[in-house]
Amino acid sequence: MPRASKRKAAPASSSSVTAPPPDQSRSRTAKATSKTRLKESDQIDNLFDTYANSSLGQIDPEGIETLCSDMKVEYTDVRILMLAWKMKAQRQGYFTKDEWQAGMKALKANTLLKLVKALSELKKEAEAPQNFEDFYSFAFKYCLTEEKQKGVDIESTCELLKIVLGYQFRSQVDSLVEYLKVQKDYKVINKDQWMGFLRFCKEISFPDMANYDENQAWPLILDNFVDWKKQKSGGR
Amino acid sequence: MSNQKKRNFQIEAFKHRVVVDPKYADKTWKVLEHAIHEIYNHNASGLSFEELYRNAYNMVLHKFGEKLYSGLVSTMTSHLKEISKAIEAAQGESFLEELNRKWNDHNKALQMIRDILMYMDRTYIPSNHKTPVHELGLNLWRDNIVRSSKIQTRLLNTLLDLVHRERTGEVIDRGLMRNIIKMLMDLGSAVYQEDFEKHFLEVSAEFYKVESQKFIECCDCGEYLKKAEKRLNEEIERVTHYLDTKSEIKITNVVEKEMIANHMLRLVHMDNSGLVNMLLDDKYDDLGRMYNLCRRVPNGLLTIREVMTSHLRETGKQLVTDPERLKDPVEFVQRLLDEKDKYDSIINKAFINDKTFQNALTNSFEYFINLNARSPEFISLFVDDKLRKGLKGVSEEDVEIILDKVMMLFRYLQEKDVFEKYYKQHLAKRLLSGKTVSDDAERSLIVKLKTECGYQFTSKLEGMFTDMKTSQDTMQGFYASHPELGEGPTLVVQVLTTGSWPTQPSATCNLPSEMSALCEKFRSYYLGTHTGRRLSWQTNMGNADMKASFGKGQKHELNVSTYQMCVLMLFNNAERLSYKEIEQATEIPAPELKRCLQSMACVKGKNVLRKEPMSKEIGEEDAFFVNDKFSSKFYKVKIGTVVAQKESEPEKQETRQRVEEDRKPQIEAAIVRIMKSRRVLDHNNLISEVTKQLQQRFLPNPTEIKKRIESLIERDFLERDNVDRKLYRYLA
Repeated sequence: MPRASKRKAAPASSSSVTAPPPDQSRSRTAKATSKTRLKESDQIDNLFDTYANSSLGQIDPEGIETLCSDMKVEYTDVRILMLAWKMKAQRQGYFTKDEWQAGMKALKANTLLKLVKALSELKKEAEAPQNFEDFYSFAFKYCLTEEKQKGVDIESTCELLKIVLGYQFRSQVDSLVEYLKVQKDYKVINKDQWMGFLRFCKEISFPDMANYDENQAWPLILDNFVDWKKQKSGGR
Repeated sequence: MSNQKKRNFQIEAFKHRVVVDPKYADKTWKVLEHAIHEIYNHNASGLSFEELYRNAYNMVLHKFGEKLYSGLVSTMTSHLKEISKAIEAAQGESFLEELNRKWNDHNKALQMIRDILMYMDRTYIPSNHKTPVHELGLNLWRDNIVRSSKIQTRLLNTLLDLVHRERTGEVIDRGLMRNIIKMLMDLGSAVYQEDFEKHFLEVSAEFYKVESQKFIECCDCGEYLKKAEKRLNEEIERVTHYLDTKSEIKITNVVEKEMIANHMLRLVHMDNSGLVNMLLDDKYDDLGRMYNLCRRVPNGLLTIREVMTSHLRETGKQLVTDPERLKDPVEFVQRLLDEKDKYDSIINKAFINDKTFQNALTNSFEYFINLNARSPEFISLFVDDKLRKGLKGVSEEDVEIILDKVMMLFRYLQEKDVFEKYYKQHLAKRLLSGKTVSDDAERSLIVKLKTECGYQFTSKLEGMFTDMKTSQDTMQGFYASHPELGEGPTLVVQVLTTGSWPTQPSATCNLPSEMSALCEKFRSYYLGTHTGRRLSWQTNMGNADMKASFGKGQKHELNVSTYQMCVLMLFNNAERLSYKEIEQATEIPAPELKRCLQSMACVKGKNVLRKEPMSKEIGEEDAFFVNDKFSSKFYKVKIGTVVAQKESEPEKQETRQRVEEDRKPQIEAAIVRIMKSRRVLDHNNLISEVTKQLQQRFLPNPTEIKKRIESLIERDFLERDNVDRKLYRYLA
């Protein structure tokens, strides 16, 4: 059957998914615009239901994993994180129906193919200077899984740094990650320190760090990082 | 009233007839000229003042003022020229005398002439802008005598020579000098300065340059300064005797420059006799002289102050870092006090209590006292020593003096909170062992600390005193309500409020049954009157007096710590006890128990117990016996005292850690206080405000402040501004 109902189908093999359904809505005339839109939101909902855990009413981590493989995107790809950002997802690993709908609408995607296309646009959008700080900040918040949790453990922070900043600030991230793993002062990174890392990458020349002034209001962990780095490279 | 031939017909008022004779003027002038000659020739007595005056008057009246004036000038000039020759002819000594004599003559003559010519002086001269007679006379004298080519140089050289001779020790005719100098001054300040003073100063400078060079090669600093001072005084005296007072400042400047300013650094730094040596040897006179002389030259006092400061800092640094001195804290502090006294004396006696020097002293002390991190501890130990025994028998006034001096040192400390911690520990020990020499002295010191640091510093200390007093009352009440206990062991309990006293973890200890029953009675008594409180016995802080009888019949009264008492009481029921048995029975923690046993078994004169084996160390297998052979000269033997001592290394670390921990909330409180009032503040200003607020107690580390700020951000007391990350904002 040409138009297979997507309603309750188990995640099918990729090939069937990539074949777009004949888009009936477009062939209709303009005067059925409301009906068109309805159709679109239906498709969004349908897509949601494909991946959602029906008992929860939300897409759970398993569903996200499936979605990723359907899109041929790595689970750890930064674009998934960006997708969560676009959806303003509150809980790591889960998408609610509202979040899904809002996100898909914002991306103007009502089909999986459109979503995949939208992802590369999304990357550019997130990396745009005016948005990046917001995205960066979101990435941290997204990792605070427990209620009242204020900090992210070192391991996760390192991974997150690599994902989020690794592309733009490769050498800084490598150094920072190395430092975070050896230092003993902090077991957890808080929001203030996290935001400090971004500021550091943006403002401080690297690797010389000549314009770093520890009498400024940098978080202490960065003061220590700079000392450590300077000792390592120019200690003699 | 015709107006032709008879022009002579004029109405004269009250003068006799005037003849307008063309030769009249000449004739009249001749009379006057002759008079002037006579005056100069000391023949004035034969002259008629009235006639001469009249003649002069008439000349002026008849418009012959010009002739009169120019005649005067030429006559006087010619006379002066003659005089000049006479003076030139004078030989040697008589040159000045002749000059002086002639000058006096001239002045007398001038006066007479001026009187005669007074009418001209008042009428013709002003309206024709001529120099008045007296001034004219001076000018002519100046030009023809003083500045005559044959006299000018000779005069100057003679004067300078006389000055030089006086400087080299000869006696000169000061009166004559005075007159001659006065003559120059009368001739005008330009004459005095140009013809004499200028050269005088140059020659003096040269003289002193040479002399100072000579002295500095052969004299030590003190001697040189004496000589310089002497010369200075001489010059001042010279001015009063025969020079213009305005010259004083100029000549003293010359001496100051040549003798002092030019050689100051060399003098101050002179080996074996310079400033440092004077300071070391308390040479008040020399120091005072140096101060007075250096005060006169630019940067003089600055130089002395700098040298004193660096010397003091160096000495102080050695004092506080010398390992020998660190062995005895009381000695250490005494040495500091002595040094302070020494310099107070010097500044008082030699530097007229100059405030800038006092400040330099303060700064130096502040610098080196804080070089040693143990200074706060040592000062507290010093006070402890004094309050235990040092102030015994000392008068009240002297006690105050000593305490004030200690407060002085306290003020220099950067880490006052460390001092507070130690002071509290030591005070606690003093109070609990009842070992304070004078309650008044203790309280006096507390008051001084309160004045210095505010109420919070001392409130806990005062709480300790209150506890002691309250405990006394409690004990009275206890025994009053339990009269049956009068026969048994006397219990003295001090109830300490936890917050006020230094915290000690209380360890386990099984009291002997006699004591534990008594203690329980007390506990119920106390809790009966103070419900809701909790009591815990601090067995590590108590002491006991025990009566002991030994094998040979010797009786002694032993003063021991509570732990020691527990151990000794065991021997009432056993001959021999092993370490393990003692440990089990008393449950005293091992390190304390070992120390306690050591003090009773291994110390000569206090060995009330015997140990097998006789080693110094306490082993787990050791056995203990009462030492029947124990002997002591004294009936009362003190074995366990809880004396304040210099801390061991691990104890020191612990105290330091506690101080650091205490500082954290103080820093946070300061940050919150400041941010609450400012609302928004940038990082650097916040750091400096916090530092300022806390500096009365300690100097906070900027890194530590930063840590606290970050902690407060994490706890949502503060946030960083979104736009300017250097700004902090207070979150209500």
